[in-house]
Amino acid sequence: MIPGKRRAAVMSFSAAIFGALLLQSVSSQNEPSITASEHTTLPVEGDMYMLQCNLTSYQNIHQESYWTKNGEEIPETRSPNRNTEYKLHKPRGDDAGVYMCVFTFDLSPSANATIEVKSAPEITGHKRSENRNEGQRALLYCKSVGYPHPAWTWRKFDNGIYREIDNSTGRFFVSSKDNYTELHIIDLDIGLDPGEYSCNATNMIGSREEKSVLRVRSHLAPLWPLLGVLAEIIILIVIIVVYEKRKKPEDLQDGESPVFYSSAVCDIYEEKLCSSSFEMDLLLCAVSLLLRNL
Amino acid sequence: MSPAPADPLEYKPLDGGWGWMVVIGAHISIGFAYATPKVLSIFFNEIQQDLGSSFSEIALISSIMLAAMYAGGPVSSAMVNRFGSRPIVMLGGLLCGVSMITASFGTSIIYLYFCIGVIGGCGLSLNLNASLIIISKYFLKRRPLANGLAMAGSPVFLCVLAPFNQYLLVNFGWRGSLLILGGLMLHCCVAGALMRPVPLPCKPPSYALEKTVEEQPNSGNTKLKKRFVKNAKKFLDFSLFKDRGFVIYLIGSIMFIFGAYAPIVFLSAYAKSQGVEEYSAAYLLSIMGFVDMFVRPGTGLIANSKLVRPRIQYFFSFALVFNGTCHLLCPLIKSYAFLVVYAVFFGIGFGMVFALIFECLMDLMGSQRFPRAVGLVTIIECFPMLLGPPAAGLLVDVYHDYKYLFLMCGSVILTGGLFLFVMNIYNYHMLDKERQKQVRASEVEMKLTPQAGTGQTEPEAKERNVALRDPENTETTD
Repeated sequence: MIPGKRRAAVMSFSAAIFGALLLQSVSSQNEPSITASEHTTLPVEGDMYMLQCNLTSYQNIHQESYWTKNGEEIPETRSPNRNTEYKLHKPRGDDAGVYMCVFTFDLSPSANATIEVKSAPEITGHKRSENRNEGQRALLYCKSVGYPHPAWTWRKFDNGIYREIDNSTGRFFVSSKDNYTELHIIDLDIGLDPGEYSCNATNMIGSREEKSVLRVRSHLAPLWPLLGVLAEIIILIVIIVVYEKRKKPEDLQDGESPVFYSSAVCDIYEEKLCSSSFEMDLLLCAVSLLLRNL
Repeated sequence: MSPAPADPLEYKPLDGGWGWMVVIGAHISIGFAYATPKVLSIFFNEIQQDLGSSFSEIALISSIMLAAMYAGGPVSSAMVNRFGSRPIVMLGGLLCGVSMITASFGTSIIYLYFCIGVIGGCGLSLNLNASLIIISKYFLKRRPLANGLAMAGSPVFLCVLAPFNQYLLVNFGWRGSLLILGGLMLHCCVAGALMRPVPLPCKPPSYALEKTVEEQPNSGNTKLKKRFVKNAKKFLDFSLFKDRGFVIYLIGSIMFIFGAYAPIVFLSAYAKSQGVEEYSAAYLLSIMGFVDMFVRPGTGLIANSKLVRPRIQYFFSFALVFNGTCHLLCPLIKSYAFLVVYAVFFGIGFGMVFALIFECLMDLMGSQRFPRAVGLVTIIECFPMLLGPPAAGLLVDVYHDYKYLFLMCGSVILTGGLFLFVMNIYNYHMLDKERQKQVRASEVEMKLTPQAGTGQTEPEAKERNVALRDPENTETTD
């Protein structure tokens, strides 16, 4: 090999390596960096809390930015600015969650920064009372807002304190997911199951609980009022009919209505009617005689 | 010598005494009849969850019940004519009670349609018509007052049953509640027991006379066909359409019924759309019902006075106009205070119309033709009643604004009222002319056969004239 050619090869080889190293350092310089607000815990002072993201360094052309909450894009937050803000007005429990500001670029993948807004759980929905018949299934639920998602526990108020639910009969099923929990009780027992139940939501910030009352109705419960009403009705009808039968002979004697013939005369006519045999009317006649004497 | 067949008033109606007990019975009967379809809606939510059907399927129960109640009118009237009010009301009460009790064991929606809707509706129709008919038999001079008191049963029972049903629902579930409600509806049997039959002198029924006459010339098929036609006529008497006053009344009341129920159905929804909270919106309906309770007997009292009674049809048309104007002014109302005022006036108007609606029919038809007339009227009123609220709902869906609903209902009722007013001027004028003709005719008759003039009060004279205009007085009444 000619000594000059070897030198050229080494030169170009080292230039290639140097170039590659340079490119790497340049590209690492070009990775975008974002400065974002601190993570926070609600409640905050003041009426408003601002989440901020600044895109401090980038290489490629920046397209736009938007915000997401808990993985879903918040509408109407897209803007072409490098500094982007999202205002939380009077932040409450349902404003808590994981917020992310996302910057999109023309030629390179998007960059994002995460801001966590934490709060203690607040129970927003639960059934205050549940009434079911025995043998049916009951459903008690609790809904909450807050971040991080709480751990749920169900307890029953027994003999003055709240205890863990005794599932020796295998009739209790708890299903919890994020901010929602359900307590299913199948084959309700009228002796064991009625009472106060409470759902407890606990996360690293704090905990809350709410009570629900479960009542179990027996199948025979409506029977007694029904029998009472039937007895009252029969008594009333008997009183009215007896009063009328006792008053009738007095009416005729008083001569209150002198124009009226006695019902016996009418019956004679009725019988004459029946004796003139018209096929279809015979049955009607008999029925009408029966009902007229009611 | 038997009295002339066209002479209806051989007896003087009691107008008091036991009649007031009959009014109590009618009050209970009518109360259950009108209130039950409405208060059943309290159970619908739980039934829907239990049976797993859609809301419109459940709401159909009420509609079927109302439809059966109105459609059963002619049958009910025919049965009352035949057997008298008492057994029919007791049968109706029994049907209602049985229907609710069997419905409490239901497992499918079709079963509920049949039990509550069909059987319950039939029971209620028997109750309703029989109660109205017996009032027309027991009262003449004080009839408007008796009608007002009896019709007041509807708002009273509505106000009592609504919270009571809620209490039953919480404590016993819907099945237990239907069971107990069935027991309560058996009180209609008690009401029936109160409806002592009016003792009538029994003339040899012209039925028998007609039969002996018919027997001779006809035979076989023609005899059966004549009897079939006659039986069909017992149910639906189309000859009533020849009566001018009846047709006028019918048109007016159809227009009223078409527009009457939609505002009630949509009132709380309208209030909510104006920004009123849910409990206050529901409260509006209770206010309306409460006012209604007192207005009905009050209207009966006013209608009974010497000033109003002779021209009671004008009072009826005034009530319709009042009601219509109330609805037309409603869209102008924006605040809750004025909505309360509207509810009060609505209650007044509604109560006035319903206190008079059957009294006017009795006034026009007389106690002889009233049973047939009321049967025909109720079955015809079935259609506007079922069409009104859905048509109004359609307007709301299309225009997304409740004001068109109120404008439509108000204008329909107002037109009905004005129509009644104008046509009644004409009708009263023709009636006066006819009466003068009869007076002249009877004067001629009196000159030929001198007889002592009967001292009749005006309502009695009117009854006689009304009956004289009715040539088909062949039924024996009880």
